Amino acid sequence: MNLRRTLAITVRLLAQFRHDHRTLAILFVTPLIVFGLFALLFRTDATEPRVGVVSEGGIGEAISESLGDSDRIELVELGAASEADALLREGELDAYLLLPAAPSDGVLPIEIVLEGTDQQVRGIVPAALQESVAGGMRAGGPPGVPELEVEVRSLFGDEDLDTLDLFGGPFIGLIVFFLVYVVTSVSFLRERSQGTLERLMASPLRRAEVVVGYMLGFLVVAVVQAVEVLAFGLLVLDLYNVGSVLLVFAIEALLALAAVNLGIFLSTFARTEFQAVQFIPLVIVPQILLSGLIVPVESEPEWLQVVSNALPLTYAVEALREVMLRGADLATTSVQVDLAVLVGFCIVVILAAAMTLRREVA
Amino acid sequence: MTPMAIEANGVRKRFGDVAALDGVHLAVPAGSVYALLGPNGAGKTTLIRALVGLVRTDGGELHVLGQRMPQREVLGRIGYMTQAAALYPDLTAEENARFFARVHGGGDVEWALRFVDLWERRRSVTATLSGGMRTRLSLACTLVHRPSLLLLDEPTVGVDPQLRAQLWDGLREMAADGVTILVSSHVMDEAERADRLGLIRGGRLLAEGTVPELLARAGVDRLEDAFLALTEADR
Repeated sequence: MNLRRTLAITVRLLAQFRHDHRTLAILFVTPLIVFGLFALLFRTDATEPRVGVVSEGGIGEAISESLGDSDRIELVELGAASEADALLREGELDAYLLLPAAPSDGVLPIEIVLEGTDQQVRGIVPAALQESVAGGMRAGGPPGVPELEVEVRSLFGDEDLDTLDLFGGPFIGLIVFFLVYVVTSVSFLRERSQGTLERLMASPLRRAEVVVGYMLGFLVVAVVQAVEVLAFGLLVLDLYNVGSVLLVFAIEALLALAAVNLGIFLSTFARTEFQAVQFIPLVIVPQILLSGLIVPVESEPEWLQVVSNALPLTYAVEALREVMLRGADLATTSVQVDLAVLVGFCIVVILAAAMTLRREVA
Repeated sequence: MTPMAIEANGVRKRFGDVAALDGVHLAVPAGSVYALLGPNGAGKTTLIRALVGLVRTDGGELHVLGQRMPQREVLGRIGYMTQAAALYPDLTAEENARFFARVHGGGDVEWALRFVDLWERRRSVTATLSGGMRTRLSLACTLVHRPSLLLLDEPTVGVDPQLRAQLWDGLREMAADGVTILVSSHVMDEAERADRLGLIRGGRLLAEGTVPELLARAGVDRLEDAFLALTEADR
């Protein structure tokens, strides 16, 4: 091994970086952004679920008071189960507990009713209850610790919902968005690098015709992909879905269209395929972290929520959860808003792409 | 008087400190073959790009086929061949030609592929064609919509001498049918086939005329010597 020749490679590589500021920026700025986002999301205090309590006095009251001291949940004392149920349906509560006054036959039956679509709440509420019961019964209960009989119900979904059921639907959206974006932006860039774009621009084609032609072509591919992934999720993986499959598909297709348009738009800023690929971590990673897929948007710091609310995936994730887990349909306001935002995003981005695509090569 | 297919009046274009076009005056009569001759970096490509609106000029006037450029409608009557063969590598030769025909509103794919002697290879995927074949296919894609003006940026690079002669015969035939052809080249023997020549260097048209005219003006026998003498005189 000849050191001079080896170092020639090394030095040349570093010299290339010196001329490629964009790559340097990606290498050194992206990790800070991504890692910073991780910290913001996972080091902020965990969300405190709003939990309603309906106690019938006695031990129940003691547990309730003890729960009130817990810093894991935000307690709301309520008078009746019907009231709690209504608040849960309206989304004002994440869960509620029904606490009896005294054990019967040495067993204390406690009912937990969850909203059902938030994985975190599913873990926090039973854990907070366990902690408080120990304290509560020491304070106000009769001697002899009764056995607990906890029954957990879910308003939406059933108790068997697993992590895949909760994340699967939005994840389909993410897969479709990611792949469609990558393929679109690279293909569009190839049009530039192989010189055919120059040819098209010297033809009577309008810029909008180029962009919309691209959009339609990729939409065909993206729609087929969306159908495939959705069928795999529902039929093979048996994802939980109580909503309309057609509506789920429509959301996926709209998201794919957003990805196509975004791919075309951003590739008008890149000069080479390599540069287009470099946009990927900046476009995709923040969306994965901030779309509400992993951490609910509401639990982000407020300024970060503003960013989340500007990302198309956020709306698709919300809509997919609403439809698949809660059975929402087109009459549901939040679904209407989500769809409208996605449509708006598609239109704005494609218009922007048509305007930024330059006829001139120089 | 013959109408002009191309008229450039004092066209200027700067890239940073470099004047790519430094007040170019050019007149190409309709139905003629005109060769732009000059070394690399002389401004040939920039001028051709300016003619199709790919380069926004800083000053001067450009008229193509009687229209002030840039003008999108005129582009349908122009065939522009880029310097490197700009094709879709994963399409067949025929698919490439058909696509460029459609983009220009229709054309004659078979005629164009036969013109460049690629009709037998029409089903070959472009990526599998040799460099010379790709150049020919690129030319076919330029001709396919039967334009009335051809702008060819170094069209015969990598094409063997025999086929080059054949292509030139074809281009002369097209010119005889009234098609105007502007060819850029840095190869002298190729330039000699043109009706008129323009010597371009440093973004300026140094001399212009028929081959005998240029030879007479420089007082030499060979075009290469004329080019050297005329550029030398300009220094």
